[in-house]
Amino acid sequence: MLVEDRIIVNSGVVNLAVAGVAAAAVVYTIPILAGQLIGIKSAKIRKVILHNNVAGTTTVLVGTGVGGAFVALLPALDSINGFTDIYDTLNGLPEAETFLNITAYPVALGAGTSIDIQLELEIRG
Amino acid sequence: MPDLYIFKAQVGMFDPVALQDQYVAIHYIQSIFYRKVNFVEAIPPFQCANLGAIAAGAVTARTNIVNLEMADNEFGLFRWWTIDDVQVRLYHPAGIAKAQLRNLQVPYDMNTVNRDPNLVSSEIAVWEDNRPAMEAINGSALAIGGSRIIAIGYRFHTEDMEDKDDQKRLAIVKNIKDGLQPCTHVWCSGRGIGD
Repeated sequence: MLVEDRIIVNSGVVNLAVAGVAAAAVVYTIPILAGQLIGIKSAKIRKVILHNNVAGTTTVLVGTGVGGAFVALLPALDSINGFTDIYDTLNGLPEAETFLNITAYPVALGAGTSIDIQLELEIRG
Repeated sequence: MPDLYIFKAQVGMFDPVALQDQYVAIHYIQSIFYRKVNFVEAIPPFQCANLGAIAAGAVTARTNIVNLEMADNEFGLFRWWTIDDVQVRLYHPAGIAKAQLRNLQVPYDMNTVNRDPNLVSSEIAVWEDNRPAMEAINGSALAIGGSRIIAIGYRFHTEDMEDKDDQKRLAIVKNIKDGLQPCTHVWCSGRGIGD
């Protein structure tokens, strides 16, 4: 087959220390390569890993944009107090695709706590 | 020379249709140009076009694919596919539909590569700057962010065999026309129904 369209990359580990959509933080930036002819690559989310730093059981939203411009790519993902939660396309996570930078925020956090997030993505285009 | 034909269906990357010092007959609309290949190189897969974001159920404007244009005296041989969930109608050049049956212009889509893994059915040739055009159709109920086309192929530089002052070359062209000399016919445009 001429086509094998799977370039897998990971995001950095991003610490989400402020709750609420207004504080949605960029987790992954769509690459814009200097030699890219067309300039639009997209990313499909393959895995989401959340580590809850004793922030209380809450949910994390993954999407694009910040504040009123935030659009969820996935339903709210549970983050269990003190646990590491892994969401994987092999176990039901849809391969949501976006052309925009990916952002995330926790709905609530205990005082002085945070959630770490990392994504695995498939880059296309 | 059994390799002198287009639409080869072998597995993997496809072969060039002509090599150094082999003859080609370039068909463009109703014209035929007899030429000799004097340079060949492969072109790796690249994103040649993005027809843009499309609302649910909408169709893009017919867009010239200028990134598939070739320089003077050159033709390109390309196979291509889309990586977004759109159907693509191909025109080559912009006014002539490709993959046209009597009652339907057959579109290409993401499934083409599953059913035709070598993309034989998408093979086109481009003579100089006579580029193809495409329209993308979003048949889904969701807007999509882009409609990207990837192409892969070969670049051929050629020299003219029909110089009226070069009797040696004209004799070769006559032999090609008489079937005495091998030559690859390369169709660099579509053809209208009933044309």
